[in-house]
Amino acid sequence: MSDDKFDVIVVGAGLAGCTAAYVLAREGLEVVVIERGNGAGSKNMTGGRLYAHTLERILPGFAEEAPIERRVTREKISFLSDRDAVTMDYQAGDYQAGDYQAGGQAAGRRPATAESYTVLRARFDPWLMGKAEEKGASLIDGIRVSELLTRDGRVVGVKAGDDELEADCVILADGVNSLLGESLGFVKKVTPHHCAVGAKELIELTPQQMRDRFGCEGRDGLAWLFAGMPSDGLMGGGFLYTNETSVSLGVVFGLHNIEAAGKSVPQMLEDFKAHPAVRPLIEGGQLIEYSAHVVPEGGLAMVPKIVGDGVLLTGDAAGFCLNVGYTVRGMDLAIASGEAAAKAVIAAKARGDFSAAGLNQYQTLLNDSVVMKDLTLYRKLPGFLDNPRMFGAYPDMAAGVMADLFTVDGPSKPLLKKAGGHLRKVGLLNLVKDGLKGVTSL
Amino acid sequence: MNIIACCKIVPEDQDIAVKPDRTLDLSKAEPKISQYDLNAIEAAIQIKEQSGNANVVALSAGAAKTLGNSKIRKDILSRGVDSLTLVADDSLEGRLPADTASVLAAAARKTGFDLILCGEGSGDIYAQQVGILLGEMLGVASINGVSRITAGDGTVLVERTLEDEIETLELALPAVVSVTADINTPRIPSLKTILAAGKKPTVTETLDGIGYQAPAPVAAMTSVKAPEQSDRKKKIIDGDSDADIKAFIESIRPELTA
Amino acid sequence: MSKLANIYVFSDKPSRIRDLIGVATPLGDKVTAIVIGAQPEAQAAAAAGAATIIAIPSQEGVIVEDYAPSIAEAIRGAGAAGLVLLAAGKRGKCLAAKLGAALRAAVVNEASAISLDGGLAVSHMVYGGLANATETISSPLAVVTVASGALEAAPCQAVAGAEIRQGVFVPPAHPIRLVKREAKAGQAVDLAASRRVVCVGRGFAKKEDLSLAGDLASAIGGDVGCSRPIAEGEGWMEREVYVGVSGVMLNADIYIALGVSGQIQHMVGANGSKTIIAVNKDKNAPIFNFADYGIVGDLYKVVPALVAALK
Ligand SMILES: Cc1cc2nc3c(=O)[nH]c(=O)nc-3n(C[C@H](O)[C@H](O)[C@H](O)COP(=O)(O)OP(=O)(O)OC[C@H]3O[C@@H](n4cnc5c(N)ncnc54)[C@H](O)[C@@H]3O)c2cc1C
Ligand SMILES: Cc1cc2nc3c(=O)[nH]c(=O)nc-3n(C[C@H](O)[C@H](O)[C@H](O)COP(=O)(O)OP(=O)(O)OC[C@H]3O[C@@H](n4cnc5c(N)ncnc54)[C@H](O)[C@@H]3O)c2cc1C
Ligand SMILES: Nc1ncnc2c1ncn2[C@@H]1O[C@H](COP(=O)(O)O)[C@@H](O)[C@H]1O
Repeated sequence: MSDDKFDVIVVGAGLAGCTAAYVLAREGLEVVVIERGNGAGSKNMTGGRLYAHTLERILPGFAEEAPIERRVTREKISFLSDRDAVTMDYQAGDYQAGDYQAGGQAAGRRPATAESYTVLRARFDPWLMGKAEEKGASLIDGIRVSELLTRDGRVVGVKAGDDELEADCVILADGVNSLLGESLGFVKKVTPHHCAVGAKELIELTPQQMRDRFGCEGRDGLAWLFAGMPSDGLMGGGFLYTNETSVSLGVVFGLHNIEAAGKSVPQMLEDFKAHPAVRPLIEGGQLIEYSAHVVPEGGLAMVPKIVGDGVLLTGDAAGFCLNVGYTVRGMDLAIASGEAAAKAVIAAKARGDFSAAGLNQYQTLLNDSVVMKDLTLYRKLPGFLDNPRMFGAYPDMAAGVMADLFTVDGPSKPLLKKAGGHLRKVGLLNLVKDGLKGVTSL
Repeated sequence: MNIIACCKIVPEDQDIAVKPDRTLDLSKAEPKISQYDLNAIEAAIQIKEQSGNANVVALSAGAAKTLGNSKIRKDILSRGVDSLTLVADDSLEGRLPADTASVLAAAARKTGFDLILCGEGSGDIYAQQVGILLGEMLGVASINGVSRITAGDGTVLVERTLEDEIETLELALPAVVSVTADINTPRIPSLKTILAAGKKPTVTETLDGIGYQAPAPVAAMTSVKAPEQSDRKKKIIDGDSDADIKAFIESIRPELTA
Repeated sequence: MSKLANIYVFSDKPSRIRDLIGVATPLGDKVTAIVIGAQPEAQAAAAAGAATIIAIPSQEGVIVEDYAPSIAEAIRGAGAAGLVLLAAGKRGKCLAAKLGAALRAAVVNEASAISLDGGLAVSHMVYGGLANATETISSPLAVVTVASGALEAAPCQAVAGAEIRQGVFVPPAHPIRLVKREAKAGQAVDLAASRRVVCVGRGFAKKEDLSLAGDLASAIGGDVGCSRPIAEGEGWMEREVYVGVSGVMLNADIYIALGVSGQIQHMVGANGSKTIIAVNKDKNAPIFNFADYGIVGDLYKVVPALVAALK
């Protein structure tokens, strides 16, 4: 089927795949994206917060046009004990609600690259794929790539059932658990010890409820993280992101601790939803979707071989994802790595060399990009975070101190004494140790 | 043999929402090929495969804004038909069967045909009559409920599975046949057929172009309303551990022993 | 609006004629039954309550659908205004459309309501049963098919001395040749009358597993029904027992769905049940929005436990 040969086949229409396709098509390469779901993003899950910087550099001002849900202008972090909650609330004050709609960069507003947005993949990914299609990329959806086509040890295309399709180069953007990456021997099989699992519900609320409960005005919204109780005091946490008329509510949990937790991740989500600080937030809401997904965990240590003859790995497939405990960051890295892969392929085409050596610019581009920089920066983070005190004792301590501070049931005790009891429970030395470890892992 | 397979583009029913006043909100429902029209397309493809020399045209009439959707066009073409003819006009949205049939009749006259295949009913209004109306308007033989087709020389032999009998009939061509949902299992487009779809021709006709003349109206759809829903208890147990199953059994036992 | 002057009824099945006349009676001043045959058929229509009967002579080897020109001619001769009622089987629907085309009449299949307030209006389900659409008829005549039990039927008295007129056979322009006809074997249960229904959906992996549903049905003293793909796609059960907008409409006390996703086309048939219970392994399955009780779990695990517990 030589007349059907493409320059590049991208496997997977997630953010990594769509970005790669966009950048390739923009440069006039013939690119086809193959996605097993019906449409880009139909099967994709995320917590919901997209840090804009990487896409902003590729498609400046994208948020004006893209189906983003809300711009995050307010952050909350809650430390939950079994029943109590201590919450920190930060509201970026420089700009006002509604600036977003006015467009452009209002006075006092942070640059677009510093923004972050809440997104729903079922809306966002198709838009990004649409951008790539406008530039000439094609999408073949509803087709699962079953195998890579190799010849003399190099990847020359893909197979889907009985059909074969050839290309100079294949970009694997097939997400965490990349079976195709595994088949090359690049990616190690995901084991419960090296991954976390996220479970999320999308809960619809009325515009009035969105305003009353989360202060969502105009297109502005809230990102809210929860530590402690949601992950049963172990590595993980809960999140809540406000969408246009719904919230994404979920938990992330490191599977290696699943036995210690003694309950399943869906159960954690149920318990989290029932917490007194959370229940009123979603009361009366309508569950519109439930999803669960694996998160690559382990940071830099997990990154596999990412370049081979005729093949590149991007996004989650390449392990480019940061699990920082309460929250996960992978979308901006997927976008950056998709772009880098595309650029490397464009350079390889110019030289007519799609061997691993010819594609190796990918590695250089990544090293200079946020992807490797942040993965390196957070290199030790998983170890630091996998400390039950971070997720159990400290949130309990915070809640305990607050409870005492605000409780008057007789003569008051001096403040230090109040905190002292809770500190002793955790151990002052541990606090100092964890503090130091935290600093050095950053 | 020239075969026309009629397929309607309808809103994805799973994404239709009922508004508080019980009218429908179709705004979130993406267009899709009406489910049972896939059987008509598949039946056409199978006749082509059997007879060796047939040409299959998919024919759809509808609003220009719906039929303009390139994903939908590609989806139809990736099902194995040779080409696609669209009659696209925004005035065709929400037409009742008599109108639709006369549009399809005008288009079919222009295209020419030996056999027209229709689905059992369209996924939106499920009127279950356009096929027969079309046959009558074109002045050719027509029948519904067909669960098997064998093409002969200038005829088709069809099997109908009715409520309590099975009959075999012979129709002289040209003819219009409405097929049932169980005549075949429509194949899923493959990488190859999807790629090939991009190279197949689509002809977009206008109402004037096919010489359509609106018949006198016989009816108008005056209201579309969801029925009152009874409130359900929605006591759902999430999980099937032994304890969960036990709790489930206990929750329903009073109902079952009542 | 006052009653219609004329209503014509025709049924391809003798068993439905009484019920169609019962539906027609409150709507029209004069109910005319059209039959294919001679005295015995005409007498049967009179016994079912028809005061006027037009009998079209029966022809050897002509399928019912090919009597459409003859029936149209009979109606034309009687004024061609008012309403034609037919039984909503495949033959009835085919005839309805043929009559509609011949008489330039509006056609509505499977009416859920017929109203005369402010002109003739006929409702039927659309969007898989999500909604009822009402069509206001502007043609002088409307052709409507009615499913058994779908509309209220007045009790009918046998008419002594009914007026029997002779119709004519008008050959169709493009006759369809009957090659063969066989009766279908087996008689399925009438699920519409069942009190308890266990429903099989595509969550069942193979036909042999259907015994699980059978076990549960016998444990609760009920019948087994299914979703449409089980009857039409897989062919594991009879078409007569699939539940839904194009199948059986239930009136059960208890309906238990096993591995049924709960698409609206199906639920419309199940919603008439007092209590709805669902077993489905997908938490997002729409069926849970329609259920009183449910469990998110594997039916292969839940059903045997359920059967054991109920024994
Ligand atoms: C619970 C949870 C919360 C998260 N929260 C955030 C957050 O708030 N912010 C953030 O930035 N990141 C977050 N992440 C991480 C982020 O979602 C991922 O890093 C990101 O989606 C990776 O994008 P991708 O394009 O590499 O892969 P994916 O989005 O997984 O896309 C892979 C695509 O490939 C397709 N595919 C797979 N195999 C095949 C095949 N064989 N043939 C054809 N197609 C195939 C899939 O269907 C899919 O569409 C979260 C993740 C989880 C699980
Ligand atoms: C015009 C029209 C009319 C129609 N009329 C009807 C009608 O009258 N009646 C009707 O039924 N349909 C009708 N349909 C079809 C309808 O839209 C659905 O396709 C059909 O009802 C789905 O059947 P299902 O639930 O058995 O299968 P699916 O939708 O495939 O659902 C199977 C379910 O089983 C669950 N499952 C899988 N494995 C297990 C397990 N091991 N344990 C527990 N659960 C499991 C899955 O999660 C899934 O939810 C009609 C469609 C159209 C377009
Ligand atoms: N707008 C349309 N375009 C093409 N085919 C149609 C259209 N409407 C109905 N049909 C065909 O007619 C069949 C019966 O439709 P209906 O009578 O609306 O239930 C469908 O299954 C289609 O095959």
